[in-house]
Order: sequence, then structure tokens, then C-alpha cells
Amino acid sequence: MQRSREIAAAPERSASETVSTIGDLFRDTLAASTLELDEVESALDTARPALLALVAGGHLDGNALVLVAASLHLSVTTVSGDRAVGLDENLAAVPGAAKAKTWTLYLPTPDPLATIVTAAAKQHDCLSVDVPPDDAKATTQAASSIDLDAFARRKE
Amino acid sequence: MPTSTVTATHTRTNTATYLTDLILGTVGDLLASLGIDATRLYRDWAQDEAAIKQWILEASLKKLVLECVQPNGTVAPIFEFPVTYSATGLGNAAFAAQRAKLARYRAKLASVPRGTTYRIVCTFQGAHSPMDGWSPTKRTSTAGLKANNFGVLGSGPHATASMRVLS
Repeated sequence: MQRSREIAAAPERSASETVSTIGDLFRDTLAASTLELDEVESALDTARPALLALVAGGHLDGNALVLVAASLHLSVTTVSGDRAVGLDENLAAVPGAAKAKTWTLYLPTPDPLATIVTAAAKQHDCLSVDVPPDDAKATTQAASSIDLDAFARRKE
Repeated sequence: MPTSTVTATHTRTNTATYLTDLILGTVGDLLASLGIDATRLYRDWAQDEAAIKQWILEASLKKLVLECVQPNGTVAPIFEFPVTYSATGLGNAAFAAQRAKLARYRAKLASVPRGTTYRIVCTFQGAHSPMDGWSPTKRTSTAGLKANNFGVLGSGPHATASMRVLS
């Protein structure tokens, strides 16, 4: 289940506010599962320096954070500058993580922040700087082919 | 035929928020490019962000200065971020940042010795609000350093931030 969200950054929100908003989105999204929310909190705390650097440097405008939990594949980017003012945002919890037993937040490593982001990711099992899996796309393709097969059988 | 228009109102707070993020984000990128430990920058981010935003909002911030302090005591390079203000605002002026130019500039930065640290100093024009975590100090002399103007780093309707490098 591939989903994406755009979050308004500066000048609408400061970097601190933007990081808090992204954290709230992840927290609310994972709250639908039976995951330990303490672990979610500790991961977000650990990621905070990297998230501040990514947001304030404008790096998340073009490089997504990706949250993978169960069938959910959530890409989060920021919008800075003129387009951030009055951006039509959807900050509601994203469905798809209810059955999650584990989760991973994939952090981008744009130049020159690879070192600081990687250092943060190494401090928590739920953070990664690996290339996020393309699970949602695979799921969509699988679902599509099943539907097509079903239609084909109905026609026979 | 009915018509309608959409007008974006950019406040001084928007400009202060934008330039604060731009300057602090640039400081973070520069420290990362130079290999200088920025743990303190991100630990103190909330208080520094609040202070700089307030000072830009009240148009008291003249310059933010990033001084790189090498293990042998040499202070170089020094990055200056002067802020200039528009008394009336620039109408529909856009929020713009020279991020691509900055990335090209960062790629050419000379390295600094391992163990180099940093400090941030602000200079002011007129009175300014006292802010948590900040105390009076003097900036390091720039005598003997060669200046290189980067130019405008970014701007909003009510202010513009530039960058100058001394090394």
C-alpha cells in the first residue's frame, strides 16, 4: 500500500515544528498497530538530529523519508518556499500499519549529511539508511494480476 | 462573468521562519561538509532557532557568524551571514534560496584539521531581545583573512540573508 504525504516546512513551519509534525504523523500511523509506542518515541528521538538537518537544509524536499510497516509504504517529503504557504496537507494517520509486527523508518542520505544520518540510524534498530524496499509496488502488482485473473475466469 | 483572485499574505513571521531555517540549515550543511561535529547544533536547535527567529522578526540581527576553531587555535574559515531588512516588505516577493549554488560551493570547501570545533556569534543593530542560551561575547578578529562573497543565500518578502566567507 503505497502512500505519500507532503508536509509544509519553512516559511510555514520552522524546522523544529516540521520535525514534530512528521513525528506526529508517524506516531499516529503506527498507533493503529500493537507496536510498542515507547519504541516509536525512542526511534524518533534518536532520529531527531538527522531530521532537523534534513529539514532545515531543504533536503527532504527532494528525498523522501519512507516508513515501512506491514503493507504500508509511506513516503514523506517536505515542501519549502512559496508552495509551503497554504499547502493542502493531509496530516491524518495513514492506514495500512495495523498488522505491523515490526517497522522501519528509512532515512535518505543526501550530500553532505550522509555521516550524521548514518550515525543516527546506527543507534536504533528501527532506523535504516538502506534503500527502502519497493513492497507497496510489488503488492499493487500482485493485487492487479489477481484481479485480472479473476475477471478472466469470470468471462470463461 | 464572476472572477476571483487568490492573494498570498506573507507575514514577517514567515520571513523570519524561512531565513532562520535557511541560515541554520546552511550552518549544519557547512559543518557536515567540513567534518566538524555538529552534535551541539542539533542538541540546542530549538533554543537557537527561537532566538534567531525572534531577532530577525524584530530586525535586530545584523549578522550570524560561524567561526571554525582549529586545534592550534586558528579561527578559520569564518562564515558570515548578514541579514538586511525591508521596512515595508516587498509585496509579492517570493521565498527563494540558492541551495544549488550553495551545494556547488560546499563541494569546493577546503578541509579543516581533525578536531576543529565551532562557535556561533551574533551581532546586532540596535536593541535586541535577550534569549535563552545566549550571552554577550566578542567575535574573533578577521584581520589577515581573505574575504569571498557568496552573495545572496536566500530571501523573503521582508528580509534577505547573504553569505561571506573569510579564510
